[in-house]
Amino acid sequence: MKVTFPHMGNIYIAVKALFDGLGMDYVIPPMNSQEALTVGSRYSPEEICLPFKIMVGNYIKAIEQGADTVILTGSCGPCRFGEYCELQMNLMKDLGYHLDFIVLDMPKDIGIKELFKRICKISSPSSKSTYEKVMALKNAIKVMDLIDEIEASAHYLAGFERNKGQCKEILEECKREVMNFSNPKVMIETLKDYREKLKYISVDINKNPLKVAIIGEIYTVIEPFSNFNIEDKLMDYGVSTKRGLTLSWWVKNMVMSPFKLNSIKIKQSSKKYLSMAIGGHARECVGEAVLAKKEGFDGAIQIFPMGCMPEIVSKSILPTISKDENFPIMSLVVDDMTGEAGYITRVEAFIDLLERRRSNVLFGS
Amino acid sequence: MIFFIVQFSRNPTANGVGVDLLKGGIMKIGIPKGLLYCKYHPFLTTFFTKLGCDVVISEDTNKNILDAGVKYCVDEACMPVKIFHGHVASIKDRCDILVIPRIMQLWKNEYICPKFCGLPEMVINSIDNLPPTISEPIYATSQKKLYNWAKAAGKYLGKSNNKVRLAFHSALNAQRDYEEGIFDKGYEVNVALIGHPYNIYDSFSNMNLVKKLNKLGVGIVTGEFTHEDTLRDVAKKLYKKPFWTFTRENYGFAINVAKEKIVDGIIYVSSFNCGPDSIIIELIKNSLPHFPFLILKIDEHTGEAGIDTRIEAFADMLERRTRIESNFSTHG
Repeated sequence: MKVTFPHMGNIYIAVKALFDGLGMDYVIPPMNSQEALTVGSRYSPEEICLPFKIMVGNYIKAIEQGADTVILTGSCGPCRFGEYCELQMNLMKDLGYHLDFIVLDMPKDIGIKELFKRICKISSPSSKSTYEKVMALKNAIKVMDLIDEIEASAHYLAGFERNKGQCKEILEECKREVMNFSNPKVMIETLKDYREKLKYISVDINKNPLKVAIIGEIYTVIEPFSNFNIEDKLMDYGVSTKRGLTLSWWVKNMVMSPFKLNSIKIKQSSKKYLSMAIGGHARECVGEAVLAKKEGFDGAIQIFPMGCMPEIVSKSILPTISKDENFPIMSLVVDDMTGEAGYITRVEAFIDLLERRRSNVLFGS
Repeated sequence: MIFFIVQFSRNPTANGVGVDLLKGGIMKIGIPKGLLYCKYHPFLTTFFTKLGCDVVISEDTNKNILDAGVKYCVDEACMPVKIFHGHVASIKDRCDILVIPRIMQLWKNEYICPKFCGLPEMVINSIDNLPPTISEPIYATSQKKLYNWAKAAGKYLGKSNNKVRLAFHSALNAQRDYEEGIFDKGYEVNVALIGHPYNIYDSFSNMNLVKKLNKLGVGIVTGEFTHEDTLRDVAKKLYKKPFWTFTRENYGFAINVAKEKIVDGIIYVSSFNCGPDSIIIELIKNSLPHFPFLILKIDEHTGEAGIDTRIEAFADMLERRTRIESNFSTHG
């Protein structure tokens, strides 16, 4: 069994730590590129959302490298993501590939027994003991938390750095170097080193950079390819960014959700505008826009794939937040046909707008 | 707990208006004729009439309503949601309280679409000067849960519990007596018309598809006459149980009619950019690879001539297929 998985931001680093810890064979699909998207959109249904197309591209690229099993998380919310597994199974079968799918769904939908069965199926080729398996999972989660933490602080410090481009350099170096090791323990140590390194870069605390929150649909905000590396570009512009939706947040949220203790802060702040979960991450999007204003951010950028149902609802709510809170929010819709130049122009114009707003006499009133 | 959360409009004039208005005379309740009104109008109208309110219903969908919807609604939404916005805009000045049904679930663990769950928010944030709205979540999974909605709505209107209970039961009866669906008999060629109910029964948005097909000598069968258990059984064959009600029903119906040979072909009416439809069309295509299957995409720009040509061609094709006696698929 050679396992693969679809890309989503830094998940490949955590998955590497997991399967190295389990001592299993796996394939990391080539990093997302235009080629993967082209292949994916050639075979995908016409009206499906962007993540599906990129994922199919990932699978086909991974099969070329010998993968035969895909691990995928599922959901049974009203969002389309939950139906991905079924469609992708049919699609890969029609294309003539023999790909096994292991779908990790929430226990309330498939039953806890079935979930354990599927988890056992993943870990069965591993020769490690149960204790080692659990430790491997723990290390993988630790890696995920660390890389998300490093990324978040690099994105935030980019606005304050004295040597332009230092944060971006450290972040890229970190991601490159951590992939060289195959021992999860060493990976964690390396990541910790980089976390320290980021703490000691020279920053100008008197600077007052623009601060922008990135909100929207989870896949498109996390996966840099689908949003044209918006966070890297904002780092180049010297803008501090914050993104609430990360993979470590997602794991924490999922674990806490049966006890209804998940993301309490977001729920509270979104209550005024959207009082209930409507699927996807619409509530998180709305809540984070309100939180960003409270935390003194200058603006927010919402990114979602074309046709994303929950985000359409939040998009219709955001103008009201913008008006009520005097807080600029821009919505960007991405799909496989989005042109980069037009997209970047809009981001630049938005940054210019935020900058000029500050010199307005009425700013902050 | 969530069922008891009563959410009122954020409109500053909304708080407590319901009870005050009652003193002034009969209250006018506005019900937009969009989305699932076509399916559940007996319930809604009977409930509010029995509560002693005047029910104001928007007119049938027309060009003005569509234009107003396109003007107010977010660009990315699908056409039925835009039409709903148009209906709201057309009656908002003629009623005291507006009903925006937030239908969360019709069956347990099944939804309709995220846009239905967030419909009141979409409308309230897109259209200005709205009257107060009744937008409590509707969980129609059991009579008890549905009654929570009725209780909250009745409370908002200042009606006594007893009155609400009576109105609720007669509304339920009215809904049970109401039979919808099309089952044409006496036609040589029959097709199954599948899609979300608001696309099938809104003759403006689908450009009189039902009449046009009948005129071409094609009979129509819709999904309402297939038993719920059959639909469920068919959907069980899927790897994952669909979690959208209409996806499960449409899938079950399509596979069932094709297998039972009740119809000669399937026409799927889908609105552009519909999330559930993008999935279910693929599922049906996968399960019925050699069955005549026409997908009609409708949006606010659809040209009538193009639709006409397509259904005429489809009807011609079906007719020719029935004429050939040895009608075997070339694929074996």
